[in-house]
Amino acid sequence: MTRCPKQEMWVRYAAAELADRPRRALAAHLESCDACRREVRALARGLEAMERLEREPALRPEMLETLHRRLRVAAANRPQRPRVITLVARYGWVAAAASVLVAALVLNLPKPTAPAVLPGNHQAEAIQEIAAAIELLQLAENGTTPPQPQNLFPGDRTNELNLLLDLDDAGLLLDYLMSQDRLQG
Amino acid sequence: MTLRDSDAEEQRLVAYAPRVYGLLVRMVGNRDTAEDLTQETLLRAFRAFETYRPEGKFRAWLFRIATNAARDWLRRRPLEPALGLDADWPERASASPRRQSRPEDRLLGGERASKVEAALRRLPAPDREVLLLRYYGGLAFNDIAKVTGEPLGTVLARAHRALKKMAELVPEE
Repeated sequence: MTRCPKQEMWVRYAAAELADRPRRALAAHLESCDACRREVRALARGLEAMERLEREPALRPEMLETLHRRLRVAAANRPQRPRVITLVARYGWVAAAASVLVAALVLNLPKPTAPAVLPGNHQAEAIQEIAAAIELLQLAENGTTPPQPQNLFPGDRTNELNLLLDLDDAGLLLDYLMSQDRLQG
Repeated sequence: MTLRDSDAEEQRLVAYAPRVYGLLVRMVGNRDTAEDLTQETLLRAFRAFETYRPEGKFRAWLFRIATNAARDWLRRRPLEPALGLDADWPERASASPRRQSRPEDRLLGGERASKVEAALRRLPAPDREVLLLRYYGGLAFNDIAKVTGEPLGTVLARAHRALKKMAELVPEE
């Protein structure tokens, strides 16, 4: 038998407030757990008991009459505002939220940039470095001991690349290499 | 605001009056007070309609106003021996001059409901409130948590305790 779900889950189950998937999981648990079945039965009995109350008790006509009268007085005393102001007061939040969304979308659109052109022999060198970086990441992912960075990246960039490998993000590494080449170019 | 808007709002609110009254009478335990609070709730809602935001659930909004009205009344009321659904209810209600014209009002829902009402009266007020909001407001537990201002876990724990107690106190039919 699997571990029993929390009592609160059974409340939601008995009250039919769970989505299909968790509901099915709990139903499967019930098939093998007497204690939880008893629990759910008790909760369902509690809910059934509530159903014996009158959900919409009749109101005295005098009370309803008074209520209507008071509501009419309140309506008459409402400040007369143009409909547009009422709509703005009620739905203004929708317009505000939409504006923020549109602004966020516009500001996040990628700005057109000129393609990066790497000078002469830097291009081939950069491609080699990128391929090596990807290979290194794949090896690290597979749990294989990566080769020593100095074999792949000669020169003084070894330490920087080791730091970047910690980020475990090939995208960042590629960006980094490209920017370095651009700077040097 | 046009007259037509006001009419529509009035109709919408009045349609909820019986359920709001049902909740309130069991929260305050007194029918005259519950009638007054029902009117107060619906008037407050009517005045606040312009601030009501349709992204929320109308019922949750309305029943929050009703719950607050009942809580305010329970805090302000003169000190009396009983709390919540008072021990003097429904005796005091039937003795009320307002009530004499309605003999069927002695019990809401008749004899069948009397055992349930007795059981409800034995629940701690916050646990009872959760059951009442679910039953009269038709609110999901998530919404009840918003109405009562309590975390969902607390609301579910209250519901669990209250339902088990009800099952224990109300005999099966």
